[in-house]
Amino acid sequence: MHYIWKEWKENIRGKGLWLSLSIIVILTISILFRSTALSFDKGFYILLINLFDTLIYFIPILCLFIGAFSIFQEKEQKTLIMLLTKKDNYPSFLVKKSLGLYTVVLVPLIGWFFLYLLLLKFTFQLDIKSYLIFVAAIVLMALIFLQMGAAIGSFSRSRMQIIGYTIFVWFYFFFLHDFILLSFLPDVTYENVKLFSSVYFLNPLQSVRMYLETGMGVYSFGHMSRLLQAFMWTKPVFFLLGNLIFWLAVSFGTAIVFNRKEGYE
Amino acid sequence: MKKMTLFLFVFSLFFLVKPEKNMAAENLQAIIDSMKEGAVLKLENKTYEGNIVITKSMTIIGANKTVIKGDGTGNVISVKAPHVKLSHLTVTHGSMNRNSAEEYAAIKIYSDNNVIEHIKIRHSFHGIYLSKAHHNIIRYNEIKGMGKGEIAAQGNGIHVFYANDNLLSNNTVDGTRDGMFFDYANNNKSYDNNITNTRYGLHYMYSDENIFKRNVFTMNTGGAAVMNSNHLKLENNQFIINYGNQSFGLLLLQANDNYINNNTFYMNQRGLYIDQATRNTILNNKIIQNQIGIELWASSNDQTFTLNQISENTIPAVTLGGKGENNSWSKNGKGNNWGSTFPLTDLNQDGIGDFPITYHSSLHQLIEDQELTNLFLKSPAITIYEKINATLKDDEVMFKDSYPLTTAKGKHSSIIYLAIGLAVMLILIKGRHQLCIIFGRNGRKT
Repeated sequence: MHYIWKEWKENIRGKGLWLSLSIIVILTISILFRSTALSFDKGFYILLINLFDTLIYFIPILCLFIGAFSIFQEKEQKTLIMLLTKKDNYPSFLVKKSLGLYTVVLVPLIGWFFLYLLLLKFTFQLDIKSYLIFVAAIVLMALIFLQMGAAIGSFSRSRMQIIGYTIFVWFYFFFLHDFILLSFLPDVTYENVKLFSSVYFLNPLQSVRMYLETGMGVYSFGHMSRLLQAFMWTKPVFFLLGNLIFWLAVSFGTAIVFNRKEGYE
Repeated sequence: MKKMTLFLFVFSLFFLVKPEKNMAAENLQAIIDSMKEGAVLKLENKTYEGNIVITKSMTIIGANKTVIKGDGTGNVISVKAPHVKLSHLTVTHGSMNRNSAEEYAAIKIYSDNNVIEHIKIRHSFHGIYLSKAHHNIIRYNEIKGMGKGEIAAQGNGIHVFYANDNLLSNNTVDGTRDGMFFDYANNNKSYDNNITNTRYGLHYMYSDENIFKRNVFTMNTGGAAVMNSNHLKLENNQFIINYGNQSFGLLLLQANDNYINNNTFYMNQRGLYIDQATRNTILNNKIIQNQIGIELWASSNDQTFTLNQISENTIPAVTLGGKGENNSWSKNGKGNNWGSTFPLTDLNQDGIGDFPITYHSSLHQLIEDQELTNLFLKSPAITIYEKINATLKDDEVMFKDSYPLTTAKGKHSSIIYLAIGLAVMLILIKGRHQLCIIFGRNGRKT
């Protein structure tokens, strides 16, 4: 609880969280204005898909930055050393710090999307289940990238390193991961498609998108070929949960194994 | 005490018997049979039990809550006489049996010149079935099926079989197998229908000379599938979010000489999917934000694409399986508007680009060979993949538009780009340190 309170105070004094939230608010509102011409009953789905396609450019990198700099700040201000010499070891510090981060970033985010729903109510016929799936997709994506950010903050020695790692991680998931898979695509057969799909859904952006589009009933998986059936060997929600667990574990593991307690400018 | 018990017993019988239900069940067919030719029958706000067969010209009008409930063994209402008018009814519980010789429907029409309007249909195999029935009007009906994904266990919203010159308008179909299915049906008109969550919103087989206008197809596996049908007119329709690995806005398969004008294809897996089709004219359509704007297979020849707006698609157009012959991307010196997909100059301001545009793509082979490629079409990696393969010369010409149209540019968009550019420059020159301060150090500068 202390960590959450501390995180909250630090973040509301800083500009990062406000900047990130205001970007999201401006984006969501501008997309709402652009979508007012859409039809009343189906416009809601179009808006959510367009909104997701836009937010996917911002939420990962903002969360990476917030997570990384939040940890790094503890190093800079020497509070990390103070905390670790008292009663915490690094893993327990990281868990508490992460919980603090989740609360501080996700609560305002969820709060905003609740308010946003009220705005949507005036324009479209709502589908609450789809909206909850949309919010869950955004929250899970933010969670994964916050944790990756925390890992970057843990093993970075300087701010330049943080910026470098963050941009690399973002670039990797945005371009490189899919690009590598595209080059393997001609060799995918029925025998190895499960492995391929596991790697495909390791990209949080892909697993979140698949969960959202199938969950909202927009993406239809009717008449699947044998290959595609093998590719979708479990439900999209399990791909997403697997992805979440995998990246949280990897991020925690990396942060704990490679953490550096000192940071310099 | 005895009297009291007897009274309670008799009173409780009223609850058990539900007399109005059974009376109606016995009576509706008898009432219909007893009516004269051309009579008008007004039904009350209650549930009548079917199935019923109408063998004389008449009008049946329901009230707000009039329900005709079938017994689940056949068609709920069979219309066997011409000039029958049915309106304001809820028809439900047709037979779902797939082993019978006949395909059942909530309303099955075997005759001509009937009007079916303001009918709600639930729990039946097909909704409205026109069997060798001509000159009928089917309008303002609402048909609901079992939902998307249920293909074999249910039928079509409106099934038109060997039936000509019918008008289908303002109907709403949701969650059936196909929304409207035309089989050997010619010269029908479909206007202002709204079809969602079906396999194919509209499905034409061996049906010629039909017209469909102002229909909206959303969230189907395929918007409209036109197969083996010729001389159709498709105007002002909207094909929106038809998403999925096999999905498309409009499929033309072995369909020739069709006229596709002023339709909107928005956010589909493929906007237009053309295979083994010839001599189709595609003009004035908006093909926007699809993953593949136009997928053209090699067996398709002599298509004309002109005056279309084809923009913001991941891939504007792709030709697969080789090159078709005589597919033309312009007509009478007018090509298509490709939006920001291709940079274009128009120095003489005649609305036509100063040079032809040619689209190369390396993805065609991958799309053709590996269906999983579709899963990557929303990924930003596709752009890089295309650029890298362009340098490796693995790409092929997908189309050439000799007379591309230029967009009338809004000034504000360039101002926005300029502002964003300036902001980025400022951050890079002055604010690198600031970026670190914003995210760390509680906003303090030292």
